[in-house]
Amino acid sequence: MGEIIKVGIADLKVCRAPDQITTIGLGSCVGIVLYNTLNDICGLVHIMLPSSKGIKNNENRAKFADTGIEDLIHALERMGVMRQALIAKIAGGATMFQFTGKSDMGSIGDRNVIAVKEVLKAYGIRIVSEDTGADYGRTIVFDPVSKKLLIRSAGKAEKSI
Amino acid sequence: MSYDEMNSTKMDVLREIGNIGAGNATTALSVMLNSNLRLEMPVVKVLDFNEIPDLVGGADTIVAAVLTHFEGDISGMTLFILELEEAKNLIYTMLGKNDSEEFNEFDHMDKSALKEIGNILMSSYISSICTLANFHLHTDPPAICIDMAASVLSMPISELGQIGDKALIIDSKFLDNERPINGLLLFVADEDSFNHIFKSLGIGY
Repeated sequence: MGEIIKVGIADLKVCRAPDQITTIGLGSCVGIVLYNTLNDICGLVHIMLPSSKGIKNNENRAKFADTGIEDLIHALERMGVMRQALIAKIAGGATMFQFTGKSDMGSIGDRNVIAVKEVLKAYGIRIVSEDTGADYGRTIVFDPVSKKLLIRSAGKAEKSI
Repeated sequence: MSYDEMNSTKMDVLREIGNIGAGNATTALSVMLNSNLRLEMPVVKVLDFNEIPDLVGGADTIVAAVLTHFEGDISGMTLFILELEEAKNLIYTMLGKNDSEEFNEFDHMDKSALKEIGNILMSSYISSICTLANFHLHTDPPAICIDMAASVLSMPISELGQIGDKALIIDSKFLDNERPINGLLLFVADEDSFNHIFKSLGIGY
């Protein structure tokens, strides 16, 4: 049995079978799994903001959709994965708090998902499946052997995409 | 100032703000629930984002949270968070429900009661900061969320993430003698806001 590699908030890691990779409690954040069908190597980045542009303190590149995905691609390439072979599964981007007031902060989740899709499209990486939006948190586990992304949410049946 | 330059005087000031704010909030809640709540000495912490969920039992602990934004002379948010069982106790105390009643899920009434408790706590907290620092602040209507701690906290964390990688948190804990209600009241604001608080209280740099 392999280990389960934990990815934190604004963090990215790569993983090789028999290990699996997980991130706990995605809320408005988005988890992006990049993998390929040629081997058992994959990677996961847990981003929390759409873009590093216009943000002063942007040294932590895994925090943003644009720089986080870029770095994950490079990390996978260093492990010998071909960029052209990469495909993606994504989850998260929920709106956790429904405010009745004027504040639009609740839509951070939506903006994250849109940004992630744009970035992946720009790299020509196809999204195979996704579980995004809605109003609940998600814990995800990816198995690089079966290529299945397991999604656990509070009070809901486990599903796999 | 960056969080790294926080000296012990500033930490003391924040702890005292937390004490006064949460003290008033505790009184307000005690009156409403007709019970005797106690307040623990608030703790001031500078935390990495990944450490924040540990305040409430860890990333995958199910929590109930009420969040409100405040704006004006400073801006930020306050969160009232508690574990599910404790939220249940609090709601039962407020609505006069019996422990033996079966508890499956929070219904609309429960959520709205919890939201109101959060509202009262956070409003009295914010209003005492206003009095103390002579600020004008207004709060938005609160919102409630029941989910994994990491998911719930992703919202304040993302907001803070736009300016840094750490959060300065004033963490106040309430206790009820009869039923355990270990609620946490978190005061989250950016560095500029904290600097503004120090300035208006005459704390030098």
